[in-house]
Amino acid sequence: MAVGSGIAPLPALVLPKVRSKNEAVALGILGIVLFLGLWEGAAQIGWINPVVLSSPSRIAVAFAGQWESGQFLADLGVSLSELAIGFALSLAVGVAIGIAMGLSRTTEYALDPFVWFLYSTPLVALYPLIVVWLGFGFATVLAITFMLTVIPIVVNTLAGVRSVDPSLVRAVRVFGGSGYDVVMKAVLPASLPLVLAGVRIGLGRALIGVVLGEMFSSNAGLGFRMTVYAAHLKTADVFVPLAAFVIIGVITTQLAILLESRLQSWRT
Amino acid sequence: MTLSRRLVVGTVSVLAFLVLWQFVGQREIVRSDLISYPTEVFATFVHLTSTGELGSNAAVTLQEFIEGFVPSIVVGVVCGVLLALVRPLRELLDPLLTAIYTAPVIAFIPILVVWFGVGTYSKVVIVFISAIFPIMINTRVGVSEVAEPWLRAVRSFGADQLQIVTKAILPGSMPAIMAGIRLGLGRAIVGLIAGEMYVSIAGIGRMIQTYSSAARSAEIIVLVVVIAVFGYVCVALLRSAENRMGTWRSDLE
Amino acid sequence: MAHLEIDGVSLAYPNVRERSTFLALDGIDLGVERGEFVTIVGPSGCGKSSLLMLIAALLHPTGGSVRLNGKPVTAPGPDRALVFQDFALLPWRTVLKNVELGLELRHVPAAERAAIARKYIAMVGLREFERSFPHQLSGGMRQRVGIARALSVGPEVLLMDEPFGALDAQIRQVMAVELLKIWERDRKTIVFITHDIDEAVFLADRVIVMSASPGRIIETIRVELPRPRPLTLRSHPDFVVYRERIWSLLEEQVRSSLHWQAADDTPPLAQVP
Repeated sequence: MAVGSGIAPLPALVLPKVRSKNEAVALGILGIVLFLGLWEGAAQIGWINPVVLSSPSRIAVAFAGQWESGQFLADLGVSLSELAIGFALSLAVGVAIGIAMGLSRTTEYALDPFVWFLYSTPLVALYPLIVVWLGFGFATVLAITFMLTVIPIVVNTLAGVRSVDPSLVRAVRVFGGSGYDVVMKAVLPASLPLVLAGVRIGLGRALIGVVLGEMFSSNAGLGFRMTVYAAHLKTADVFVPLAAFVIIGVITTQLAILLESRLQSWRT
Repeated sequence: MTLSRRLVVGTVSVLAFLVLWQFVGQREIVRSDLISYPTEVFATFVHLTSTGELGSNAAVTLQEFIEGFVPSIVVGVVCGVLLALVRPLRELLDPLLTAIYTAPVIAFIPILVVWFGVGTYSKVVIVFISAIFPIMINTRVGVSEVAEPWLRAVRSFGADQLQIVTKAILPGSMPAIMAGIRLGLGRAIVGLIAGEMYVSIAGIGRMIQTYSSAARSAEIIVLVVVIAVFGYVCVALLRSAENRMGTWRSDLE
Repeated sequence: MAHLEIDGVSLAYPNVRERSTFLALDGIDLGVERGEFVTIVGPSGCGKSSLLMLIAALLHPTGGSVRLNGKPVTAPGPDRALVFQDFALLPWRTVLKNVELGLELRHVPAAERAAIARKYIAMVGLREFERSFPHQLSGGMRQRVGIARALSVGPEVLLMDEPFGALDAQIRQVMAVELLKIWERDRKTIVFITHDIDEAVFLADRVIVMSASPGRIIETIRVELPRPRPLTLRSHPDFVVYRERIWSLLEEQVRSSLHWQAADDTPPLAQVP
């Protein structure tokens, strides 16, 4: 059904209005700005207690302080490196295991119960065991990040390999492809969507792992810093690393989505 | 038959793991206070249950969960529907909500504890916030993507706005809503345990933290299994609720 | 006064990006008598579906008016029921509940609804599938559910938008025969859209031939073949005359809508003699 001056009284609510991308982005930014504005306004007027709930202006001041002292950058560095290393490790191991399970039914059946258990258990509960084994510090954060991230990557890679349409494999064979060709030209590209979905989910989980590890078993990084400020009831300061995590989360998710769409322009 | 081969290989694998674990732990090939072993874990489970320690803490955690999760479903679905149907709301709030959705919710725990205290109330809030975003966003997506033929059919028979929502939009977006609830469930459990571990007076998470500092692996493993079972039971309940609501596949029409 | 009057109806869509207006329908004048079976044929994109949507009031015309029993149609309602090419059944409802949909929306009480729905489910020959779900049915069966659903609200006019378009060729022919049997019972006014010239002639009292976009009525052809019409009618010499007549009107329209660009070195496509 088309849109036009002739449109009958549809609940105009349900119809998606055609907006340009720029308009949508602008409106979104407006929403965030409104939110911040309302928050600040409420704090200024006294509707909310700025000492307890804080306000954008106080957070900005706190950020300036943390930046100047170098604290923020140092913490950011630690967190980002944990994220990067943990994720990279999980990616390598996860894809490898996923492919192994995908190519060999026996491997899949043998590993499946453990993968399933780790997939459905809130892994945050396993974290204390890791502390018992590895103590406090970088290694523990890395370990929990790895543990949280590797599972979705394994699951999605396996699903990806299994999802390859047999007729694709047949097509490559029919046109004279070898086993190597089959893997490179059919299996890998065809399993990519699900693998990339696993990457996206894994990135989100990795960030959670970093936050978790730093909050509970570290003495460096943004997560740790947050708990310190919270213990001293410095609410404005708490928001700075918190906002950093939110922004990192948004950026990594958008990057992952961008990657997914770039590598899959052949999908409708 | 593939099914029984899967079952056989899987069971053998798990049994082999348990036997190996028992062997390694009991013989102290690796220190048993680090990894424990199956029979010790089971004995510890019995002990914790008989003293009532497990039961009373589990009750606290369960209560926090229900008090946070149930309202999050109601509020999440309602807000999701509103977001989908009221265009200005959606366009303004979507980026903000998506940002919070993609953020690690556990990062909010310290500030929530500052605001809501160290007791059960802050945990209820954590559960609520962890669950509501996936529910809200999945509901919104589900509603916006309700297939056009269904809307067209209902409209062609003269449905008014309310009827369009109740007879086409809500049933049509049910799969997405259930998916959102499932996601919310996972996040809620993670948030809840992490919150209790961070600081609390009672609860499974608190137990984990206590035994963690005492390096009591057996107890920790018992608690991990308890949490895993809880998660599994919740998912099973959700699945049966979904089935009772009628199985249909949206890609077939 | 005709049962259904379409009076100088035009439909234009503004094209926001190109700042122009796309004219879908250009001054359609059509009167449909009570109990008449009218089919509309034309090339793709000629606006036939839009015309049906206008009669159903799911779209509003930019010019002219649509009147039922003399009164303008303003909103969708049970007096003009639609049958869709993609069936548009609600997948979470059983056959019975799907057929009851129109009655439900009119707040007809449950027992009465079920009785009416069952009557029409029996009429389309699906009595034993009352409790099945759409995904368990074949395409032809789903469309029968769609027809039952439309009939159960007791419409004055049945609007059918290429209802057999998604079905295979053999089933289409049988469905056409069955549709006529159902129609013979109470002779509703039907407006039926199709691509298939044979189907149009087979079903209709009158065939409306439309041009390519912007859609206009090229000609109206009265089909004087006797009823009831058997499947074999399609080979009858009189039938062939109608088919040729309509095809000769449409061929040019169809070719122009194809946008077939001639390769440089080939002669222009030969015309059908």
